[in-house]
Amino acid sequence: MMDDIDAMFSNLLGEMDLLTQSLGVETLPPESSSSTSKEVNFTMGFADMNVESLNELEENDFDALMADLMADLSATENKLVAELEEQKDAKVANPDLPAPPRELSSYVVPSLSTTTSPDTGLNTTYTPLADSHIPSFSPPQPPQHEKPSMEDVEAQIKSDKIKLALEKLKEAKVKKLVVKVVMNDGSSKTLMVDERQTVRDVLDNLFEKTHCDCNVDWSLSETNPELQLERGFEDHENLVDPLSAWTRDSENKVLFQERTEKYEVFKNPQNFYLWKKDKKTLKDMKDRDKELLVEENFCGPSIIVPDLEGVLYLREDNKKSWKPRLFLLRASGIYYVPKGKSKTRDLVCFVQFDNVNVYYGKEYKNKYKAPTDFCFVLKHPQIQKESQYIKYLCCDDSWMMTLWVTGIRIAKYGKSLYENYKTSMAKAQLTSAWNNRSTTTTSTPSTSSTITNAKASGKANGYAPQPPEEPVANIGIEPPPPPPLPPAQILPPHPTVKRSPSPNATTKKLPSLPTKYPPSQATIFNLPAPPLSQDDISFLPPPPDSDFPLPPPPPDPAFCPVTNRVPKPAPPPRQLYMGADVPAPPPPPPPSFTPTSSVIKTAPLPPKRTTPMQAAPPGGGDFMSELARAMAKKRANQ
Amino acid sequence: MAAWDLCVTVEELGPEAPPFKVSVTSDLHIGGVILRIVEKTQIKKNWSDHALWWEQKEQWLLRPSWTLEKYEIHADARLSLTSQHKPLRLDLPNGTTLRVQACFSRPVFQTVMGVCHLLNIRHPEELSFLRPVEEKKKKEKEAEKDVVHDLTALKVMSGTHNPATLSNGMPVHFADSPQTEAVYKLLSVSLPAPPPETITRMLRPSGLMDKAQVHNRWLDSSRSLLQQGVKAEDKLLLRFKYYCFHDLDPKYDAVRLTQLYEQARWAILLEEVDCTEEEMMLFAALQYHIGKVSLSEPQPTTSCPAMDDLDSALKCLEVKMESEKTRVEDMLEMAPELQDYLKLFRPKRLTLKGYKQFWFTFKNTSISYYKSREETLKEPIQQMNLKGCEVAPDVSVAAQKYCIRLLIPEAEGMNEVYLRCENELQYSRWMAACRLASKGKTLADCSFSSEVENIQSFLAMQQSTPGANNAQTDEIINTHSLVSRRYQKKYKAKQLTPRILEAYQNVSQLPLTQALVKFLQIWQALPDFGVSYFVVRFKGCRKDEVLGVTNNRLIRINLSTGDVAKTWRYNTMRQWNVNWDIKQMAIEFNGNVNIAFSCVTATCKIVHEYIGGYIFMATRSREQTEGLNHELFFKLTGGHEAL
Repeated sequence: MMDDIDAMFSNLLGEMDLLTQSLGVETLPPESSSSTSKEVNFTMGFADMNVESLNELEENDFDALMADLMADLSATENKLVAELEEQKDAKVANPDLPAPPRELSSYVVPSLSTTTSPDTGLNTTYTPLADSHIPSFSPPQPPQHEKPSMEDVEAQIKSDKIKLALEKLKEAKVKKLVVKVVMNDGSSKTLMVDERQTVRDVLDNLFEKTHCDCNVDWSLSETNPELQLERGFEDHENLVDPLSAWTRDSENKVLFQERTEKYEVFKNPQNFYLWKKDKKTLKDMKDRDKELLVEENFCGPSIIVPDLEGVLYLREDNKKSWKPRLFLLRASGIYYVPKGKSKTRDLVCFVQFDNVNVYYGKEYKNKYKAPTDFCFVLKHPQIQKESQYIKYLCCDDSWMMTLWVTGIRIAKYGKSLYENYKTSMAKAQLTSAWNNRSTTTTSTPSTSSTITNAKASGKANGYAPQPPEEPVANIGIEPPPPPPLPPAQILPPHPTVKRSPSPNATTKKLPSLPTKYPPSQATIFNLPAPPLSQDDISFLPPPPDSDFPLPPPPPDPAFCPVTNRVPKPAPPPRQLYMGADVPAPPPPPPPSFTPTSSVIKTAPLPPKRTTPMQAAPPGGGDFMSELARAMAKKRANQ
Repeated sequence: MAAWDLCVTVEELGPEAPPFKVSVTSDLHIGGVILRIVEKTQIKKNWSDHALWWEQKEQWLLRPSWTLEKYEIHADARLSLTSQHKPLRLDLPNGTTLRVQACFSRPVFQTVMGVCHLLNIRHPEELSFLRPVEEKKKKEKEAEKDVVHDLTALKVMSGTHNPATLSNGMPVHFADSPQTEAVYKLLSVSLPAPPPETITRMLRPSGLMDKAQVHNRWLDSSRSLLQQGVKAEDKLLLRFKYYCFHDLDPKYDAVRLTQLYEQARWAILLEEVDCTEEEMMLFAALQYHIGKVSLSEPQPTTSCPAMDDLDSALKCLEVKMESEKTRVEDMLEMAPELQDYLKLFRPKRLTLKGYKQFWFTFKNTSISYYKSREETLKEPIQQMNLKGCEVAPDVSVAAQKYCIRLLIPEAEGMNEVYLRCENELQYSRWMAACRLASKGKTLADCSFSSEVENIQSFLAMQQSTPGANNAQTDEIINTHSLVSRRYQKKYKAKQLTPRILEAYQNVSQLPLTQALVKFLQIWQALPDFGVSYFVVRFKGCRKDEVLGVTNNRLIRINLSTGDVAKTWRYNTMRQWNVNWDIKQMAIEFNGNVNIAFSCVTATCKIVHEYIGGYIFMATRSREQTEGLNHELFFKLTGGHEAL
């Protein structure tokens, strides 16, 4: 770890050196040299990743990981290119700065694997790769030399540089994890998650990879087999944080699955807020009244927590007994009523939510001799093993458990929960709208049957069960029970054509817009051959954080060997077979289905990244990000 | 038509003056009557505000074109000519008493609107007048002592809905004189905490019955002040009545927000709404914070982060960038360090080891410790990352004990560690660092120094002899001023300090308006928030019960236990009727649910107005902030005379 930091440090220092130099030299930068030196600067410290754990990864995991890393590299390059282009556009002699030394302090989150062997840097493995494509990466031409006439321009250059430097500094510090996500069907996907990514981002990423129906119930959750715990992550949480708490020998897993209770409170608020009423009234509740309930409780100046009270069994500290107590939920925490005391005045605080998360306990009847199996647990996310600081509660039935866990989530997360839901809904609606549109417009048998299949399987299939196929093969195989229409026919109604040229600016402000949806993915597909595997792209951090320009310029041939090894999502032929017997509902047709060759003709240019700075990761309340934001604002005004 | 004599007393002539006799005919209109009286008095003044008041019928004769006949006024009628606007003493939620000109002739609803317009409080429909509790003789002396701020001379420019405001948010009409400016400040800035005795002395409800009594004192919105027996110079309380605060915007609502906060604060302090100990500590911390920030922030202007000033930020950065490498190093590392000898103690079962001294360094969010200063270059004995940990003070100024208790989460559970500091300064710096680290912030965070100050000022509060503590004494407040009587009794002021400090760490960085909003949010999230209680007798029941009225539902509550028996939501309500004769309200809900009750503690009209009022509040749309549908309000809340 120390070496790691040292390496990072010296890199950064070098970086700063360059920066200060270029600040001094106001006009002419040694363009080509700096961009080359940047390539050399790529060092990858795989701090905690060791050979053994890598060996244990399945072959395809490894490939995926590779692809990720390559994508990272190419993204950086692309960014550089984009920046250069931008500068050219601006007709400003803007000395470009070297790219950041991208220190990837990433390590594998152990999943089903124990990692005890000594750390081994992977630098040796990767450096050749990185080097190998340096030659193929043609350094962009130094920009045209025009003397800046105004001082404004100079100031602009300067601030651009500072901004860039800041961005790079920040980028260099970003922590990344390689996470193995277990799918519904038991297969798994490996992806790289950086610390700025929220669960929402990762979910979006997974939606693309799995072509599931994107409904709001999809969630990521963690399990802790040792404590028999499970918790759905909230969409606004950072994924890296909770995963960092896992121990090295942890058998914890990240699951990608549908959890109906995730947003149930927004779908049927009456069951939570009017839970005391009789079942029939609740069932017959009109939609209008449900909306009203959500509005009352989530849209007011403060979030109203369901008024829960009831007897729960509390597991006594480290004892085998469970004692019943009357518990109450308030916005400020869970309270209990001491024996013989009044319910209004003498509440004793049992727990507040600032430092704990709520988990479902699985099969506690067996494990802890709980009265029922409907248990929930409150603990600090850091705690991974049996401890006196874990609080165990047991409910009479599963419904009470859902009530309490949801109530606690509302109390803990408040408005974010509702925001998350709205984002999810927007996403789901967008997806289904797009699907409907594609079904109606291209009412070709092939399309609909593809959709059918995806829906029929109903789950996010990992690609693992289906044999990986070369992307190239897609075009070749196409077994035709219904024969695919000529590309030209499919093309016109394809939404891609209309949507894809959406400027970057809008997508940044509205992350829910389909930057990374099938539409734009199709755009990516439209890139000239050799086709860049879309997996590469989908591994990138999603829009809000992306510091990388999205649709990359023509990929480097050097990538091909790597990308081709990456297993593709289920190819069309197979889906056509399976889908034939099932009726037609609407998930997204896998982008891989889009006939690549045909689209090229009408392919819109990949959107150019014009203001890379706006993509600065949100939420950083620190000086740097403040500055970056302010900078973006200022630029916008000019 | 036969002429007859009409008796009219004229206010201007004094109460003892004999009534005027004017010779009139029944077809003379009211305007004519007034004209004749005015001519007869021979007083030269502006009479435009005067109108006739019919004493026996308690009725204003406001339509100048109506004839006496139409008003059915005969020779036996005693009328008086009096001004429609009279001074009224108004007690605001923050305890200030204002003397304002209020309209005595129009319905109270409109009078309140007028007053709120003057005071720049938006959404006056949420407020109303409450009669003061009848004061006993003993208290009368104190009442005299009340400072009354006279605003009767204040005139709002007519025409606009919202009075024009100056840049600092103050309405133009307050800028007339330094006095009025001071009054505005008084209204828009929350007052310092009251002495604890005030809280103890003030009336607080001891049960549902008491809480229900309050509502008996609301004035009827659809009748005028004079009709309800309010005289000039009487005192009334201006309070928020309906607990749904529409479109609260700190930008325009300086007075409204402050007064709302004050009302909420008193509701908490006087236990009008129940809250738990933890909640009380948070309220106390917020009060302390608000009090402190109000003093330092002269105007509750919208606070914008310093970062808005891009150029200065840029400049600052450029300086850093252009300086030599060492500075750059600074910037990268940025985090200053704390290092010192401290004593460590780990409570473990069956060990009686005491505090042991180590050399501690605090960097980023981690504490490391070494055997001695010289060994800093070696591996630390242990490194503890405080991110996400719990930090609690264990301090006794009297005993010179400055300990920090840390509960550091680890995979195996919580690691409990005590750090003992030598003195106040050391303690406050390490404590501040621990606090920040627990929230994932480093020492470089800009809030570090203010956090240190906060801790020091809190320690000062704990000082056993406040007198010895020289200059700062006036700033020190008694923590008993921040909590209700229940907790005053339960804890000594010194015991409260660490508890409040603990809650304070989460709010200490909030700017004033956010702190106010936060206070209101927590208040509104209390389970009992916004319930107005009435003792009622349900039809067919023998026992009195309590009806709780909130902004979205009616609650039937057991009077003795306080248990909720049933709730009905307004959106399932079909209609409600008031039988004024037998004083009974009947409400019909969807699904053929009918309830009927008579009101015990308050008149039927008040309950009816409350329910109707809340339904009216719900009709306000988000977009439309101006212009109220008065008619609808009266339709929903008025009695039979309004219909």
